Amino acid sequence: MVNDAGQLYTMEGVAAGVIMLLTVYIVISTTSIYTPGDTHIPDMQLEQLGSDVLAMMDTPDTNGTKSALETFVNADDDAGFESMFLSYCNAKASGAADDLHMSANVTYRDGNLIKEHQFLAPDNTWTGRESAVRVTRWVQLDSQPGRTTYAGARAQAVLVEVLLWRA
Amino acid sequence: MSLDFLAGFTIFMLALIMVVSMVPGLLAGLESSGIDYDAVAYRTGVILVEDPGWPVYPPWEMNDEVHKDEIERIGLAVSKDTPNILLSTKVETFFNDSFFTPDDYRNLAIFGDIPYSYHFSLRSLDGVTYNEETGDPLPPGYGYIRRVVKIKEPGVAVINGTTFAPQYTSLSSNQEFIVRLDFGQLLDPSVGAAYRIDPRTEPVNVTITNFGAYLNMTEPSTNATLRTVTFWKKDPTRPIPQFTRIPFAYGTTDSSLYTLTIDGNPYDLTPDTKVFDNDNISLVLKPAATSLFTLDQNSILDIRFNFGDTPSQTNITGIHHYDYNSTNVTLPDLQTGVLEVAVW
Amino acid sequence: MACMNEDGQWIVLMGLLAALGLFFLALIINQSALVGQTTAEGVLEFPKNDIRDLRSEIFDYYDDYGPLQTLGYLDDVEEDIVRISLERKNAVVYFWDGPPQDVSGRLLRPVTIHYYNGVTEYDETVYY
Repeated sequence: MVNDAGQLYTMEGVAAGVIMLLTVYIVISTTSIYTPGDTHIPDMQLEQLGSDVLAMMDTPDTNGTKSALETFVNADDDAGFESMFLSYCNAKASGAADDLHMSANVTYRDGNLIKEHQFLAPDNTWTGRESAVRVTRWVQLDSQPGRTTYAGARAQAVLVEVLLWRA
Repeated sequence: MSLDFLAGFTIFMLALIMVVSMVPGLLAGLESSGIDYDAVAYRTGVILVEDPGWPVYPPWEMNDEVHKDEIERIGLAVSKDTPNILLSTKVETFFNDSFFTPDDYRNLAIFGDIPYSYHFSLRSLDGVTYNEETGDPLPPGYGYIRRVVKIKEPGVAVINGTTFAPQYTSLSSNQEFIVRLDFGQLLDPSVGAAYRIDPRTEPVNVTITNFGAYLNMTEPSTNATLRTVTFWKKDPTRPIPQFTRIPFAYGTTDSSLYTLTIDGNPYDLTPDTKVFDNDNISLVLKPAATSLFTLDQNSILDIRFNFGDTPSQTNITGIHHYDYNSTNVTLPDLQTGVLEVAVW
Repeated sequence: MACMNEDGQWIVLMGLLAALGLFFLALIINQSALVGQTTAEGVLEFPKNDIRDLRSEIFDYYDDYGPLQTLGYLDDVEEDIVRISLERKNAVVYFWDGPPQDVSGRLLRPVTIHYYNGVTEYDETVYY
């Protein structure tokens, strides 16, 4: 009683549907490999912003004076550094201020060893899973008798490294 | 037969509808256009913040409405060696949207293949000194970059009578007071571009305050007459260097070239008016005027204030050097600000 | 089955066409996504800010050349820059200067800077 020819249209409809759905599945599964492209953009923006902030903190406001960054690093003034850095990088042209968080290290050379000094500890928003960017800036410290931080009294070049993330 | 065809065709149509409805989701997930906007915003930010624009000399911001098509690229940096340090005169021209049309912004700063919409804003950290913006309101999903910058502002020579009168008064006064700009000294490359006094790109601002202290005390005078303000130049590389009076439309008021105010009222450079003891004389010489004087990096420019009364009502005389000495010229600190570029 | 009627084949053909169309659409989208990705990665990978920072530090070093020489710290600071760059920035950096020369009336030192981080190599001789 049942004739094979009677189900032919149904079978072909199913076949067409399967073909299309499979294609979509393949397309979605392959493009998802390429989509990480756009996660680079917030990183790029954050890195540029952080570099700008460090460069501007290292620019003296008047000719012949020391930059704010050099003064903070030389005096190991983490509170001053943090408040200035955050006020620069959270400022926006309009609307509420941004919400960026940071920590900082200073790398220096002591004899043959490269050592790190924790300049500013991360705050409690740091869990280790944030996609943080690292920005750095060289600072040259003049020789200063009696300095005990970093490599002591001698004139030295140290590297300030800032880790910046959006909470 | 018809039931079979209906069933098959329905399954096909259902699958097709499912697939079609997935396509926009596919596009939204990728946001390929958003990626492009961010790249354009980044590029525009770099052009504005790290480049002085083109032409460099004479700087693009000096072009007026008639010569606007000579501008090839807008950049706000002081020089190409000082990224992120912006010049206040460039900033003011850039945010003057009665000067630049939306198409100018697109062709001279964004350089896109398609006519992007844009929004530029600049605000100093104090929120007051600079708070500029131009462009359309922001829609959702725009490309964005934020740059932290410092803004360089021109210096001001405030010649306050209470401090400078002993230095600049004499009983044998010829009633002439000179403000001298030695370009060789001002443009010396040992001063970084971020801190340079460059009258070719920034206005020269001379303000004489507390004028009473310069008045003739023996006469006792309450006012003196400012006859003329003239510009003189000397080129030390010439064989016999001497000061010559620069031909200039002294009798025409042109606020794009200079402004002269006495007690807050504007005058041309031949004011012939009385200056009373509490009045201020303020002269702002714009770079557009300096460029008419055909000065080079060795020239010396004099701004001469001539007072003329018989008998003499003022003892003012002498030469005030417009230079890097901070008692002569006050150079403001660099202003920190944020520049935001949004493109969509 | 042998004498099957083939009238329904066009439905399968339609499905195939729709699938092909999707495929091309996806290819185009992929390409544009790649453009954005490479721009962002290009910015991240080309160490523009690092090189600028290094240059300004080396210029600071030469600004301070006199006092550093008097106190005998020239080699120390140079070693700081070279060693810390290698350790923390994974970059080979060295720089040296030649005897000062007269450049349009000013006595300037030719400073040669070399920077290589494994991807980007940068060499420059600048009169400072």
